[in-house]
Amino acid sequence: MANSYDLIIIGGGPAGLSAAIYGGRAKLKTLVIDKGGIGGLVNTTREIVNYPGYAQISGPDLMNEFKKHADTFGVEFLKGEVVRADFSQAEKKIVLKKGQEFFGKAVILACGSEPRLLNIPGEKRLRGMGVAYCATCDAEFFEGDEVVVVGSGDQAIEEGMFIAKFARKVTVIVLHEEGILDCNKVSGERALNHEKMAFIWNSTIEEVLGEENVEAVKIKNLKTGLTSELSCQGVFFFVGMVPSTGYLKDSGLEMDKRGYIPANDLMKSNLEGVYAVGDNRVKYLRQVVSAAGDGATAAVAAERYIEELNDFNRNVMQSEKRVLLLFFNAQDNESLNYCSALEKSTKEDGLDCKIVSVDMATKKNLAEKYAVKSIPSVLVLDKGMESHRFEGLEVLTCTQWKSILTN
Amino acid sequence: MSLKQLNAAGFEEAVYNNGEACLVIFSRKECHVCKEVVPVLEQLQPNYEKKFGFYYVDVEKDKSLFQRFSLKGVPQILYFNGGQYQGKQAGKVEEEQIEDKISDTLK
Ligand SMILES: Cc1cc2nc3c(=O)[nH]c(=O)nc-3n(C[C@H](O)[C@H](O)[C@H](O)COP(=O)(O)OP(=O)(O)OC[C@H]3O[C@@H](n4cnc5c(N)ncnc54)[C@H](O)[C@@H]3O)c2cc1C
Repeated sequence: MANSYDLIIIGGGPAGLSAAIYGGRAKLKTLVIDKGGIGGLVNTTREIVNYPGYAQISGPDLMNEFKKHADTFGVEFLKGEVVRADFSQAEKKIVLKKGQEFFGKAVILACGSEPRLLNIPGEKRLRGMGVAYCATCDAEFFEGDEVVVVGSGDQAIEEGMFIAKFARKVTVIVLHEEGILDCNKVSGERALNHEKMAFIWNSTIEEVLGEENVEAVKIKNLKTGLTSELSCQGVFFFVGMVPSTGYLKDSGLEMDKRGYIPANDLMKSNLEGVYAVGDNRVKYLRQVVSAAGDGATAAVAAERYIEELNDFNRNVMQSEKRVLLLFFNAQDNESLNYCSALEKSTKEDGLDCKIVSVDMATKKNLAEKYAVKSIPSVLVLDKGMESHRFEGLEVLTCTQWKSILTN
Repeated sequence: MSLKQLNAAGFEEAVYNNGEACLVIFSRKECHVCKEVVPVLEQLQPNYEKKFGFYYVDVEKDKSLFQRFSLKGVPQILYFNGGQYQGKQAGKVEEEQIEDKISDTLK
């Protein structure tokens, strides 16, 4: 099927592109879907100085390299916004805004994050009319203007200084006591001594004012409770990011309160064959290099998962013969003995069945899927449908098997 | 890109001299949201062939244009008919909003 893939990657930032490189190289039929331009958030980064091998490179240039690399491995790219996902079947369904549907054996979620909104009056209405979230995109429009920056993290302070290249004055609204910024020390000191930067402490903004364009902001001092107005032509919000995982709300995927996806060291989510990488997962460091690492890990894990899935389909689901699916533990002697006893008892009389053994230690997926709690366990499957289940060490005799299998 | 790019002179010609009913998106290469909105226009364009013009201005190349309209950000879609400014849409806009605005402009 044309819309059917081994691996579907949602998001084409550094995490998604790295996964694509590994997926493509492993000869998986791989599709990357992105609603915007390939490269993600990095496209808005003017300068990257901490990606190994590149002492200094612009964000878009680095992402071009990633994209070109993925192209060499035959990865497909599609522009579109994913609005829904159904992970309940083995073939996972991805639905785009225009209604197109795609199916993947495994899905890697690499949707990154977007600026958090304060949701104060005027913020939405005046977006693009003075309210902004991206300095690279919009700073230049404020040549000679007075601009307010909300927030005091790395992004707020560093972008604030960039805006000051254009603006006449940049006023930073900070929640904390005088002198305390959330950003790194070096940037903090530079900003505090910057001739065009001013700071308003212990404060937040309550409203953006203006008819057609931003004319002022309403500032509230948290200590005194007093509000005041500050006239300005622009407001940049840098009050943190939120993961772009809203569309996954009803997919059964586990997320934390803020919408980040917890993943294990294989980048696997709580769902089989669904992985989360980069900024949209719960993690310690959100950078390009760590996003790339996540992508590689997930693609390799997905490759193994798909291989197992294919094997299983071939050997079990499509088997002409009935299958005795044996769950055992390769490190446990009793369990091994049981295996050979079972082989013997079914072979002796040339019973018409096939034994497929599953090592619980490495194939937890299957154990979960069939709700196997104890080892050894034997499931009798006919075209994948379970007809009987035996738990415990007692080995059935050949005659007993015969009566079960001929029923 | 399938949208026709305008410089200051081309803008003058299309919007004012010819008085075309059209939209002009002000955009820039490195803007994240622009990259979401431009493809929406590219897809809509064929539906309006000969009825409504679709143009693109790169704000890095043509500063005078965004200064003239005192724009405060990209992307921004400006609508014109008969040389008259008919309003604008800023930021991430959806296909339906653009279609609505086009039919308003054509009224
Ligand atoms: C201003 C700034 C400066 C930074 N500077 C640096 C730096 O110097 N060095 C560094 O290492 N890191 C830096 N970072 C962090 C870095 O950009 C991120 O860690 C990195 O981009 C995360 O990559 P990602 O692939 O997880 O997500 P992103 O880059 O955010 O990419 C996610 C992609 O998913 C797409 N997407 C989202 N939802 C959907 C959907 N529903 N359907 C289809 N597509 C969707 C988006 O369009 C986007 O392209 C900076 C970040 C910012 C904001």
